[in-house]
Amino acid sequence: MSTTTEETAQAESAFLELHKGRQQSTQAPEAVKELNQAGIQRFELLKFPHSKHEMFTYVRTVDTVATPYALAGPEAVSKEFIESASYSACEQTRLVLVNGFLNEELSNTEGMNGVKVSGLSEALGQAEVRDYLRSGAENENDVFASLNAAFFSEGIFIDVPADTALKSPVLLLCISTGGEKPKASFPRLLVRAGRGSESNFIVKFVGQRENYLVDAAQDFILEENSCVGLTQIQADLGNSRHFCKTRVRQKKDSRFNLIGSLSGARLARDHFECRLQEPGAEMSMKGVTVLRDEEQAHRFIRIHHEAPHCVSEQNFKNVINDQGRSSIDGTVIVNQGAQLTRSDQLINNLMLSDGAHADGKPNLMIFADDVKCTHGNTVGQIDGDQLFYLQTRGLSREAARSLLTTSFAQSIIESIPHPEAVADLNDTLLKKLEAKNG
Amino acid sequence: MLEIKDLHAGFEGTEIIKGVDLTIKKGEVHAIMGPNGSGKSTLSKVLAGHPDYEVTGGTVTYEGKNLLDMEPEARALEGIFMGFQYPVEIPGVNNSEFLRMAYNARLLYKDPDAEEIDPLDFEEILDAKMKLVEMDHKYKERFLNDGFSGGEKKKNEILQMAILEPKLAILDETDSGLDIDALKAVSQGINRLISGENAVILITHYQRLLEYIQPHFVHVMSAGKIVKSGEKDLALQLEAQGYDWLTAPAT
Repeated sequence: MSTTTEETAQAESAFLELHKGRQQSTQAPEAVKELNQAGIQRFELLKFPHSKHEMFTYVRTVDTVATPYALAGPEAVSKEFIESASYSACEQTRLVLVNGFLNEELSNTEGMNGVKVSGLSEALGQAEVRDYLRSGAENENDVFASLNAAFFSEGIFIDVPADTALKSPVLLLCISTGGEKPKASFPRLLVRAGRGSESNFIVKFVGQRENYLVDAAQDFILEENSCVGLTQIQADLGNSRHFCKTRVRQKKDSRFNLIGSLSGARLARDHFECRLQEPGAEMSMKGVTVLRDEEQAHRFIRIHHEAPHCVSEQNFKNVINDQGRSSIDGTVIVNQGAQLTRSDQLINNLMLSDGAHADGKPNLMIFADDVKCTHGNTVGQIDGDQLFYLQTRGLSREAARSLLTTSFAQSIIESIPHPEAVADLNDTLLKKLEAKNG
Repeated sequence: MLEIKDLHAGFEGTEIIKGVDLTIKKGEVHAIMGPNGSGKSTLSKVLAGHPDYEVTGGTVTYEGKNLLDMEPEARALEGIFMGFQYPVEIPGVNNSEFLRMAYNARLLYKDPDAEEIDPLDFEEILDAKMKLVEMDHKYKERFLNDGFSGGEKKKNEILQMAILEPKLAILDETDSGLDIDALKAVSQGINRLISGENAVILITHYQRLLEYIQPHFVHVMSAGKIVKSGEKDLALQLEAQGYDWLTAPAT
C-alpha cells in the first residue's frame, strides 16, 4: 500500500500534467492564462495537504485528490433542469455557469439595472482588477483555491456601480454535469460592490449527474458604505466533492451578510476569509448544515479585524445524523490597533446518532486591548426535557423529535431574506431529516 | 376518573413516592400540599409519564385504563394535561404553530377522519383563549417559552390547557414564582376552565393559590406519602401551623 505522501505526490503530478495539456489546448485569453500560470506555480509550492496540515486538521482529502479527473467543458443543460433549480424572483437576474462556463442562453440579465456583468477576461483589462487577482493568486494559502486559479478559464465579473440598488437578488447557478468518468470544474466569481451600493446574491451549487469535483472561488470587494447580502446554497449531489473559497474585502462602513447552507457531499469544504480593512465595517455569517449517511461538510473560517470599530458575528447550526462528519475551524484575528472591535462566534452541533462526528474549533487571536469578543461551541443531543414537554402535549415521540430537529436548523434558514430560497431549503435540506426520522 | 393505589416510584434507584393512595372524581379540585422534597412534583411527573421516573409498585387507573402502560403522548391525548413547574424553553419552535400542532394532534386522536383545523380558524380560537388567560398577543409569534418571563411561561401553560381542554389537569406549582398580578391572572384563567366535566390537581407549596381557587379536597404529602387529607380548612391550618405537626411523626 502506498503512503499518504506518495499518493498526494502522485496526485500533484497528475494535476500538473492536466494543467500542461490544458494550457496548450485552451482557448482562454492570454490574460487568463497568465493568471492560471501564477495559480499553478502557487499550487506547486503549497502541495496537497498531508494528515497533519494545520488547515486540514479535520478534513481528509487524499481520496479526493487521488481521483483521476478530466476537465469538464461547457456542456448542454436542459431548460427544465435550470427551471427546477432557479427562483422566479431571479428570472431576470440569473447567471448560469455550467462547469464553470457562463451559459448565456440560459442566463438572463435584463433585471440587472445598470450592473455590469462580464467575463473575467474582459475585466482583466482593468489594471486594478488584474493586480487584485494576480496578488490573490500569488499569495493564496489554500491549495484548492490555488487549483481554481490554475484552471479557471472564464469566470464572471459583476460590477455594481456606486449608489446603485439592485432590486432582485442575482442568482448564480453553478451546475456540475458530472458523468461516467470523474470531471472537475472551476467556477470563478468576482463581485465589486461600488460605494454606497446595495446588492444581494444567491450562489447555488447543484449537480446534474454524480461523479464530479467542483472547486470554486469567489471574491467580494465591498467599497465604502456598500451593502452586500450573500445566500449560499450548497446542494451538490451526494457522491460529489465540493470546495469553495470565498474572499471578502470590506472598506469603510460596508456591510456583508452571509447565510450559507451545506447539504454535505462525499466531501464539502467551504473556506471563508474576510478582511475588515477600514473602520465601521460589519459582517455577519450564519450557517446551517444537515448531514446524513456518510456525508461530510467542513468550514474553515478566518476573519481579520484590521481596523477599529468593526463588527463580526458568526452563528452556525449543524445537524448530524448517521455517520456524518462536520467540522468548523474558525479563527477571528484582531490586529494590533483594531480597538473597539466586537466579535461573536457561536457553533451549535446537534448529534442524532452514535456514529455522528463533529469537530469545533472556535478560536480568537487578539492583539488589541480594548475589544469585546466571545466564542463558543456546543455539542449535544436532542434534549430529553424538551422531548417530554412536547409529548405531554400529545405529539408522538417521532413528531416531537422531528419538530425539535427541524426547528434547530430552521432558526438559521428562516433568517434568509429570500422566501423562495427558504422554501427550497425547507423542502430539500429539512427533508433529509424527515426521511430518517420516519 | 383517576385511582391511584399504593403507588411507589423513584428516580435513579431512590424511592421517592412510598405508597400513595388517591381517588379523584369528575368535577373535583384537589390540592396537594407539602414541604419541599415530599414527592409532590415526582407524583405529577409519574402521572404524566416522564421516562426518567420509575414506577416500582402499585397501580394507577385512569378512566378504567392502566395509565402506567401508556406513553406520555397517549396520556395527553386521553385527556391528561400536565402544567409544568418549569416550562421548557424551545427556541426555533413558533408558539402558535406549536399550539396548533397540539390542537390538531388531539383533534385527530378523537376522530381519525377529521381534517386538521384551518389556520385562520385556529387563530380565532387562539385569540379567544389568550384573552381568557390575559396573555399578550405578541407571545403568539415568539418561540415557545423562549425568553418568556416566569409569569408568561405559566400563563402559556394555562393557555395550552385552555386549548387542549383536558379531562384531568395536573398543575405542578403553577403559582410558584409569580407576583400577585400574575397569580391573579393565572388563577382566574384556571377558574374559568374548571367545570363539572373535568378535574384538577393543584400541586402547591403555598396556601396563597387556594385563596383564588377553591379546592374540594386538600392532601398533605410528606416523605412520599399522603399523611393527611381534609377539606379546605386543612390548608388554612397548614398556613397557621406549618407542616411540622404532620411531618414529625413520619421521621
